[in-house]
Amino acid sequence: MSLADPGLDADAIEELYARGVTDGLPVVPPTRGRVERTIAASGRGPDELIGLVPPNYGRATVEKIAVNAVMAGCRPEYLPVVLAAVEAVCDDAFDLHGVSATTNAPAPLVIVNGPLRGELDINCGAGVFGSGWRANATIGRALRLVCVNVGGARPGEVSMSTLAHPGRYTYCIGEREEASPWESLAVEHGFAPGDSTVAVLAADAPLGVYDQRSRTPEDLLATLAASLAVVAHHKMTHWGDTLLVLSPEHVRIPGDAGWTKAEVRRWLWERLQRPVRELLPGRDGGEGLPEHVLRKFPDPARDDSPIAKFRSPDNIKILVAGGTAGRFSAIVPGWTFSKGSALVFRPIRTP
Amino acid sequence: MHDGVFFEDHGIPTATVVSTEFVRAARAQAEALGAHDYRTVVVPHPIQPLTRDEVRALADKAFDEIVRRLTA
Amino acid sequence: MSEYLDPTAPVAVPRKTARRPSSLDGLVVTLLDISKAKGDHLLDRIEELLRERARPKAIVRKKKPTFARPAPEPLRAEIVGGTGVLIEALAD
Repeated sequence: MSLADPGLDADAIEELYARGVTDGLPVVPPTRGRVERTIAASGRGPDELIGLVPPNYGRATVEKIAVNAVMAGCRPEYLPVVLAAVEAVCDDAFDLHGVSATTNAPAPLVIVNGPLRGELDINCGAGVFGSGWRANATIGRALRLVCVNVGGARPGEVSMSTLAHPGRYTYCIGEREEASPWESLAVEHGFAPGDSTVAVLAADAPLGVYDQRSRTPEDLLATLAASLAVVAHHKMTHWGDTLLVLSPEHVRIPGDAGWTKAEVRRWLWERLQRPVRELLPGRDGGEGLPEHVLRKFPDPARDDSPIAKFRSPDNIKILVAGGTAGRFSAIVPGWTFSKGSALVFRPIRTP
Repeated sequence: MHDGVFFEDHGIPTATVVSTEFVRAARAQAEALGAHDYRTVVVPHPIQPLTRDEVRALADKAFDEIVRRLTA
Repeated sequence: MSEYLDPTAPVAVPRKTARRPSSLDGLVVTLLDISKAKGDHLLDRIEELLRERARPKAIVRKKKPTFARPAPEPLRAEIVGGTGVLIEALAD
């Protein structure tokens, strides 16, 4: 194997940036050799079509995805994860068209479950949303480059996000299944514990929840519910898939008390209901229930009917991740505007 | 924009009304699809905080342009 | 650049815009609401103006389920089969 000339690589980095095919950071120049090695590691044919990537509906073949994965800095063995993630975001249920074009901020969060986490050294422990792990950094980045280069989601042009968030560089975590008292996110959604999967969520930035003092499930969940209540805004209702990432120290509280994940979801969902009269536009802020919902109530200002923050308990997705020290969790709000996007799974196919 | 380009492809003259903030996105999407001649009808941004009457007034201003976009 | 592989997948194909009629007289005009809030107010007024100032054969109102996706195929087919011209609103 010959090493590429470093001088040539430096020129290529400038040239690729000038062509508008990067995320602003330097990319690894996609030489034919690098791309071929990456394709070979997946055991798939270069021309195999993985999906049509909105909003352009560009053809994401194994080779096109491999070119972007090389640019993102992926090791060849990461490609099967990237392929599964691309396939997942191209599922109609994910609505990548809306996710990529909206003025809202979502970025696809890639969640990895199963044994491949260990084999590829995908971080699911300390600093899980942060920097320092090549697999997390480059798998999420490869998906972003595919969205831009194959899908056409150029920021400020077709991609109209007002603010976006740093997860649009890379956004990839593993679940710390070994620290969970419960079945993993993937097992809950019908996969076997031995399967390796990706799930993609159209996600806002993680919102940290600090609770150092709670010792009972009811206390901890009250804190989490109050923080979930402000997702999108404090009077938003009928919201869809949103992720709650519990740290190992936090999850032990309901786990040791014998609560199931379904019981936690149900408790939070019930707690996150508010009477119509508290959700009126113009009362405590201009936002509130939309007109078509208000019309169902003859006297909204005095109506106690409960309206739920989330459409169903199942929309509150829960997984365990993060370091073993620290009583912190994170809420990752989904993008379910106009019932837009849902959590989508794909199995990872390795050769 | 996909819809507008699709309908033009199928022989239906189409006027797509967008706000000023979305002209560039609409243009970029049409260009990406190869529809270099596609033009939108533009009304001032923002729309969401406007009252019903304010939005109706935008229609009055844009109407002639909409008809011009649809006819030769 | 030839030594590096292309990360993009262009989808542009040559396209022409549809032939324009000389006026809207006698044509079916479809008003497509893309389901973004307030677009219906704009289209309501456009419908009134069409009735006052043009002589369309008919005005048909249609609505996309969501602005966040292209219109579903059955709706597209219905519009193509049933209209002379189309006005869609309102992307903001």
